[in-house]
Amino acid sequence: MSEMLSGAEILCRALVDAGVEVVFGYPGGAIMPFYHALPDHPQLRHILVRHEQAAAHAADGYARASGRVGVCVATSGPGATNLVTGLAAAHMDNSPVVAITGQVSRPMIGRDAFQETDIIGITLPITKQNYQVQDVSELAEVVAEAMAVALDGRPGPVLIDVPKDVQNQKIAYGAPRARARGQSRPLTPGASPGLEDGVRKAARLIAGAERPLIMVGHGVILAQAYNDVRALAEKTGIPVITTLLGISAFPDGHPLHLGMPGMHGEVHVNRAIQHADVIIGIGLRFDDRVTGNTASFAPQARIIHIDLDRAEIGKNVPVAVGIVGDARDITRRLVAAVEPRRCERWLEHIRGFVRTRAESYRGNLSPEAILASIYEASHGDCTIVTDVGQHQMWVAKLYPYQRPNTHITSGGLGAMGFAVPAALGVHLARPNGTVWAISGDGGFQMNMAEMATMVQEGLPVKMAVFNNGYLGMVRQWQQFFHEKRYSCTPIWSPDYLKLAEAYGIPGYRVKEAGELAEAVGRANAEPGPALVEFMIEQEANVFPMIPPGGSLSEPIEAEPAAAGGA
Amino acid sequence: MTGVPPASAHTVAVLLDDALVTLNRAFGVLRRRNVPIEGLALHPSGTAGEARLTFVLKADAVTTDRVAQQFQKMIGVRRVMVLANEDSPTEAKR
Repeated sequence: MSEMLSGAEILCRALVDAGVEVVFGYPGGAIMPFYHALPDHPQLRHILVRHEQAAAHAADGYARASGRVGVCVATSGPGATNLVTGLAAAHMDNSPVVAITGQVSRPMIGRDAFQETDIIGITLPITKQNYQVQDVSELAEVVAEAMAVALDGRPGPVLIDVPKDVQNQKIAYGAPRARARGQSRPLTPGASPGLEDGVRKAARLIAGAERPLIMVGHGVILAQAYNDVRALAEKTGIPVITTLLGISAFPDGHPLHLGMPGMHGEVHVNRAIQHADVIIGIGLRFDDRVTGNTASFAPQARIIHIDLDRAEIGKNVPVAVGIVGDARDITRRLVAAVEPRRCERWLEHIRGFVRTRAESYRGNLSPEAILASIYEASHGDCTIVTDVGQHQMWVAKLYPYQRPNTHITSGGLGAMGFAVPAALGVHLARPNGTVWAISGDGGFQMNMAEMATMVQEGLPVKMAVFNNGYLGMVRQWQQFFHEKRYSCTPIWSPDYLKLAEAYGIPGYRVKEAGELAEAVGRANAEPGPALVEFMIEQEANVFPMIPPGGSLSEPIEAEPAAAGGA
Repeated sequence: MTGVPPASAHTVAVLLDDALVTLNRAFGVLRRRNVPIEGLALHPSGTAGEARLTFVLKADAVTTDRVAQQFQKMIGVRRVMVLANEDSPTEAKR
């Protein structure tokens, strides 16, 4: 049995058939047939954002929190180009997102028509795959394939560009079949040929190591390999380092958890890397923010690199053993292959590197105190979505994550403006949990229009704004590396309490630590969205810091004595 | 500079779908990854719907393998072969 359906109706059906429940989008001329069909498909909840960038970030947040594909929709031209930052963020952080864009009708393509943009060309390097649907007969299969490609292997964004006349084309509709992908190989290879051998070699290296480390990245969260990583650490006593995107993959406060490495990693974490003789890297790409100067990274270590993407093995750092595969599968095999051992002397050695922090803050309103108040108000049971900058590093270093995948941030792209819209998506993926979007005063102002989305759609996201009156991370770099010339980093903010009031949501301002518990507690308990502004120390810095391109062995641990001088 | 490529040159041949978007993506890999290429040629492979993209990489074997891996994971790429100077072609490792 088949019935005559338009392309737009098929698009909606195909999304429903693929299990999609939420779509983030913004209507416009070239996507109007889709929006005309949408009300007939109540299974698809549409969230009307205030800017298409927010739709892409929200879909990304939804995908990261749910492990399912996040879907965003935009019209042609400016609608499509506004998605670009969000798609690039999803691409860098391997988040499964499907973007659907309207396009001008086929006879108009290539004629510089109104709101025509070559979004396929624009998004080629920031998507796993993209499709321009040339005929309605392809549409259902393209959607099914796009959903599969986004999740398959190393996840990532996929874009489907649908000309308006294809949305209006009618065809007899049958259930979509999974499209045969020509002779293309699946992205996930099965067990790679050297796998058993690699696991054996890795186990031997681990057995002979005196100063081993486990470094875990986003791959552990994507593969949900938490228990396996923990089993590996506990069977061997090897301490665990979590990269920015690996945070929450291993419980903070576990005796074997060291913290975050790299540019803003704690001194003892980076020292441990520099002294390690074996590093087991699971699901990370040894990004430059993790390694500093690769020539001096972990000079004594033999690296075992476990990654799903063979192209990552040896890309940034030389490896002794590369194992290609799913983090959970490989870690499980490794747990079985290693002998139980302990690393007490090595742990003692690392403890000797630990520095106590000695910064002071206006009104005692330290990042620790703010984050502790959020932890307490939410009883340690919330998802934190951060933006980009100083607050992001403070949260990464100081928030005591206990549950897996409760820390969501734009790591690879480092897109300011991510937190507020991504938190919308996280809430929709976890409607019964609390979500805090933490931003600086810079990033918050980039996408604060999404407060209207929260109000209109009833999304109770809690927003924290760290207000220091500066684009703080850039100001910090100016202080350290640009003669303290604060060029264009002082940033004015509106009165956030009045702004919150204008949106009809409660707002709180905290100036000193004594006010934290009440303001944060009330915001957390609000049934709807709420905003809390923290008036933090204006020129607080994130310490320690490895200068860009510098060695992990040489951190800046305090403000340069002659700041403003050479 | 004519004739024989330098000692550290490798020829890479990629068999891929001859769809414009796939070819565009393949050129994008070369451009985006900042790959030092010396020559680039595109021909029909002899199989319907398939093109052969050949280029000479001014790079050592490790870099060449890395580039091959970037193509290996691209959707629409069917086969990647690395030809080390006058050696016989070898299949890029999966």
